Amino acid sequence: MTEKTAAKPAASSDRPVDPMADRPAPNLKWMGITHQWGTRVKPGKHGLRLGDLNVGIYGEVPAVWNDQTRNPRGAVARRGIPPVGYAIRDKADLWADSAADMYEEAIQRRWAPAVDVPWASIAPLPDAVEQAVCQVMTELSQYANVDVEAVTHWQHQMAYGYHEVKQYLATVSFDAARHMEVFRKRALCNGGGLGLEGPGEVNRMILESRGGWTETVLYLFLMRGLFTQTLLRYLEQHAHNHAERAIYTNCIEDKARHLTYGIDHLWYAINHQNDQKLIVNQLCIIGERILVRELKDPVLREALAIIFAGGIEHASGKGIATYEQMLGDFVRRYLDTLKWLGVERTILFPPELAGYVGKGAR
Amino acid sequence: MRFPSESWFNAVAEVFNGDESFQGGGGGACNTLMGAKVGDRNFLITFEGVECTGAREVKAAELEAADFYLDMAPADWRAMIQNIASNGHADLEYTLNTLDLDREQGLAHSVHGDQYREDLFFRYNQTLQYYFDASARVATEFGQ
Repeated sequence: MTEKTAAKPAASSDRPVDPMADRPAPNLKWMGITHQWGTRVKPGKHGLRLGDLNVGIYGEVPAVWNDQTRNPRGAVARRGIPPVGYAIRDKADLWADSAADMYEEAIQRRWAPAVDVPWASIAPLPDAVEQAVCQVMTELSQYANVDVEAVTHWQHQMAYGYHEVKQYLATVSFDAARHMEVFRKRALCNGGGLGLEGPGEVNRMILESRGGWTETVLYLFLMRGLFTQTLLRYLEQHAHNHAERAIYTNCIEDKARHLTYGIDHLWYAINHQNDQKLIVNQLCIIGERILVRELKDPVLREALAIIFAGGIEHASGKGIATYEQMLGDFVRRYLDTLKWLGVERTILFPPELAGYVGKGAR
Repeated sequence: MRFPSESWFNAVAEVFNGDESFQGGGGGACNTLMGAKVGDRNFLITFEGVECTGAREVKAAELEAADFYLDMAPADWRAMIQNIASNGHADLEYTLNTLDLDREQGLAHSVHGDQYREDLFFRYNQTLQYYFDASARVATEFGQ
């Protein structure tokens, strides 16, 4: 650039410079290159939503996405673009019909911990209760971090052709980042602080689930996600102030969306791939054993029992009973969901989890 | 306004639709058909976008159309609505979440058993809570 500018004779003369002189004439050959022109998507009564754009060829979602560049679905591929590589190119490995709607929902129902949580409602709590709350916040913020890392690890490996899923998962990452934020804020706003790191066995299982995104979905959204959502429901029931209630209620909704994608994807995968039901069953056997090991760690159990009992005094009675009821709710819903997906968890279901099925049974 | 009745649910909808604070902070777009079973009276309440667009009384069989329906005995509905009226919103004993957790059969049910649709109760929980909290501003009488 510098050499070219220096070589211009006009630059050293008094003649006026023609700024257009060295510029090539417009090519414009790109104009008119399209697979489908004349598309006029109109907004519906809920606005112009992502899913509304799936008209004509733009709505054709192939079973396999062979393009390895970043060519948007429906655009004309440019010849000679080197592949950048996608690991997940089969629709059955990531798809969920609800993804576009869930993307819109996540954006429309967003919340901001800084202003949507009435932080001023938080008042000092008995020391043991504050310590218990902070311990739970510590572990929940770890869970949220794993959500972010697991989703982003897979996201860039997903073919652009399934952009609805990629976009929805971007909102999951953002939801999880918000959860990290809000749990940390709760831990640090009332005279406490962060507690002891969680045992991390399920975290490791999720982060190291390298067999495919479907495997990660099972562990991240169905197993951990459902556990977390159940925990949040019980925390909301035992909230100490309006701030905690707002935190838990909003997180429950976010987790429900994640779970909906998870269930929707697992349904799609199971119904579009041979043996996927058997694979999911086998993955459950592996994952449940790890979950059982993690549940043996007393820290989260004791902290929750203190919260549910309102202090240490009744923690081993009422507190633990409520904790077991919570686990009962989780295990029953986990089994019901798998059953709905066609996966009957009867073989090698851990007795440690089966024992909770009758706790607080409905 | 007498509870339960179509006009009561629609009066609550009017308050709900008129308060923009119900649309932010985790509220917002909500698209679902919710059922309410009050003893042997049944209602379908429609949420579209940021509005509750209407409620109508239906026969029990029509609850099948609902994504989920809330089922409580009339006395339990009354306790919830009175709690909301006295606090301006449900206290922790009477949130939809607590009522669902505390009830032996749960609060939210479906006829179809479709997990995806049932989960809308959780996805829209805050909006549904806002809707019932709006009943604090509706003078309510009880009885058939």
